Amino acid sequence: MTATATKIVSQRGLFARSMVSVLTIIVIWEAVARAGLASPLFLPPFTKVMAEWWAVCADGSLPLDLAVSLSRAAVGLCLATAIGVPLGIAMARSRFLHWLFDPVIALAFPSPKIAFLPIFILWFGIYSFSKILLVAFACVFPILIGSFAAASSVNRVLIWSAASLGTSRLRMLFRIVLPAAWPRIFAALRVALPVSLITTFTAEMVSGGGGMGATLMYSQRFFESPTVFAYILTMLGVGLLLDFIMLKLQAASAWSTGA
Amino acid sequence: MRADRTSLLWSPVGRVLPLVLIGLLWQAASTSGLIDPAFLPSPVRVGTAIYDLLAGREIRDNLFITLWRAGLGLALGSIAGVWLGLMMARSPVFRAYATPIVGGTYSLPKSALIPLFILWFGIGTATSVCAVFLSCLLPMVVNTAQGVTSTPRVLVWGAEAFGTRPRAMLWRVYLPHALPNIFAGLRVALGFSFVLAISSEMIASTNGIGKLIFMYGENGAYDYMFAAIACIVVVAFVADRLLLMLTAKSLRWHESAQRST
Repeated sequence: MTATATKIVSQRGLFARSMVSVLTIIVIWEAVARAGLASPLFLPPFTKVMAEWWAVCADGSLPLDLAVSLSRAAVGLCLATAIGVPLGIAMARSRFLHWLFDPVIALAFPSPKIAFLPIFILWFGIYSFSKILLVAFACVFPILIGSFAAASSVNRVLIWSAASLGTSRLRMLFRIVLPAAWPRIFAALRVALPVSLITTFTAEMVSGGGGMGATLMYSQRFFESPTVFAYILTMLGVGLLLDFIMLKLQAASAWSTGA
Repeated sequence: MRADRTSLLWSPVGRVLPLVLIGLLWQAASTSGLIDPAFLPSPVRVGTAIYDLLAGREIRDNLFITLWRAGLGLALGSIAGVWLGLMMARSPVFRAYATPIVGGTYSLPKSALIPLFILWFGIGTATSVCAVFLSCLLPMVVNTAQGVTSTPRVLVWGAEAFGTRPRAMLWRVYLPHALPNIFAGLRVALGFSFVLAISSEMIASTNGIGKLIFMYGENGAYDYMFAAIACIVVVAFVADRLLLMLTAKSLRWHESAQRST
């Protein structure tokens, strides 16, 4: 029944249907806006949004905002990776470190990180630095937990064999633990990537200071609806693109199918 | 195993010890003047502020408003998410049409929609609940769809052989099989619900805990700001633990529960 139906829906058919559903939404959007069913303030026509998108791209404001936001997210994510991955592996190798950090992580992991934004502003000012650190703070916990789980689940036999062949502790880390844990660490990084984007955009929306989120809020306050929609669509596109890239990277770097 | 010392450290009391150590270090740094108390109030002062806040109505009222928004959005989002996920898993046609929309909105930072909701619904509960709803919807859809699609054929055939009717299949086979995935999605959604409720309050609201934290910060009442943030951390932690307990209770029959105990 469903099995045959799934087979009939070929790859091309799937793509066509996806296109149809996206196009339907755009056409309905355009029609509703043009027919005056919704005020242009609430729902500007799609064509107008695209024209606005082209205009803000051409005058360089959108690319600049995007560059600011993406660099903040990237620096924060790199910082979180630089702290989270080594600490996660160290926690898996040392019971004392595990004991020391486990309660802190248990308490901090489920907490909404954006609530800490006022503290970061108080300590590090209202410019990029506080936002980057907040992004790092938000991303470090999923990376830490992922790396810990990955390093804990490395096959004991691999470690024992390497140890019996006389591998030193440092070489063990780089030759055995890291390669074996890599696929799952990368999966954790893929989880952290959208977290970094969400945190950057939200922090910018709350505290301003340039970037996609700040301009989005600014346009909303002045009721420039086409700009609001153009920025939201850009964020959607960026999110999709980055996830696609991470998926490809994951497929390319996964030499084994998980430990 | 090794001596009692290690098992003592791993007891429930021993596991709180690192937090106590951090508190003591923090207090020591504060009293010795190593850090400016204006930037980091000492734990004692934050503790007094928490006590003070809990005695008054301000934090309770605002916290309840935030929890109400988060809870309502989470409830609506999970119900709609499970239903949509089920539809996507059971109907290939529906899945083909819904996949690009789900995929597109899944990677969109949902807080980006807050300005849009402010345009549509104004400032207040509707905006918060809508943002929370959307952020909870997507993980529920994806997880439910995954859980239902991965139902082994053997289970379906077995149930059919016993004469289970198609409608009953849903409740007796597909949903129970997807339950671990649904709970996993619910945990993600719970985290999102707090984040979105608080950030929407920080961006545009007249009340709620997010607004309260910012207000304390702007007035320079930093010990109260830290106290309010500490309240949120504790509430989020307790909510997460309660969900984990509920998960363990509901999935007692599942093999994942047997393996871990």
